[in-house]
Amino acid sequence: MQRRDFLRIAGAASLAPAADARAEAATPSPAATVLYDDRAVVLDRIGIDPTHSSDTLWIRKRDLPRVNGFELKPQGACRADLCIPIPKAMTRGDYFNITAFAKKAGQPVVAEPDARVWSFGEMQALGGGLASSRVAPDFEVPDRLGRPVHLAGFRGKKALVITWASW
Amino acid sequence: MGGEAAAGRWYDAANATFTTLVDSKHTVSSVFQFINVPMGVWIDEHGRVVRPAEPAWAATRTDVYGGKPLAIEGEAYVAALRDWVTNGDKSVYVLSDEEFASRVKRRSPAEMEAEASFKLGVWFQQSGNAALAAKYFERAQTLNPDDWNYHRQEWSFTPADAGKKWLEKFKQFDKEYYPKLELKPKGEM
Repeated sequence: MQRRDFLRIAGAASLAPAADARAEAATPSPAATVLYDDRAVVLDRIGIDPTHSSDTLWIRKRDLPRVNGFELKPQGACRADLCIPIPKAMTRGDYFNITAFAKKAGQPVVAEPDARVWSFGEMQALGGGLASSRVAPDFEVPDRLGRPVHLAGFRGKKALVITWASW
Repeated sequence: MGGEAAAGRWYDAANATFTTLVDSKHTVSSVFQFINVPMGVWIDEHGRVVRPAEPAWAATRTDVYGGKPLAIEGEAYVAALRDWVTNGDKSVYVLSDEEFASRVKRRSPAEMEAEASFKLGVWFQQSGNAALAAKYFERAQTLNPDDWNYHRQEWSFTPADAGKKWLEKFKQFDKEYYPKLELKPKGEM
């Protein structure tokens, strides 16, 4: 095997009490924490749902890009080449109903409103991942020293990505 | 214990010279739809996935747990991997687009919801809320009982019982524990 032409990435599928999560937990009373693409986005202000639905999350429009990469344009909520038309009822003043948007985009949302945490899953409207494209999605995972590693950084080499666990 | 504290000594023992990650959020499994360990994908120089998720053992053997056999096929996997490294796109183990598409399925709504639940469980666990973590780990397991990583992760928090719980589920599991390793495209022997 030509090792210099070959790179193996191994991921340890074990759960660490990550320092970043502890820091987020220590943030004094965020209005909401949104889990999206393995990022935890802390929002210091959210809107009140007019129907008092506890699962519904209204975020500030200006927070939308850092939550899910979309931004509001006249034609709808857009990310790269994708624009999803949004009904008027999905916005209210400075706020945007991101849970209603998720439903429209075929994206599951699991919420624990008492803890003010919303977890967003895969968005169907963005395509089916590997089911629709063979291009490996980029990801960022820390190495043993906590330094971020991006899969895209290995372009130009063959890569074997393996996960294992220590038990 | 988890992350580097749990995995580091294994990397040290292996004298790993390759890039080693500590994937405390199961990011890699989520991206490539790994449902057990060890599983792997091959990615070429252009970032194109050559082979999607499949068991990635380095040894071949059959173990028996609770009277039920568990076969792993590592030697053929490693041989195929060496062939690809040597021959690149000319390797017979490079899947055609059609074969690739037939092996990768879109996640079902239940599987997508399971993933979102699992991520919520991970977040609660890392935030120190074991009760809510358990709630969402269980929800993920219920929605997608075929994903062993969901179970394995939860069991790792109670290591004294982990083996027993694994064996109990393994004995009752009426599907293949690992996806079948089909190294050559269909139609080739």
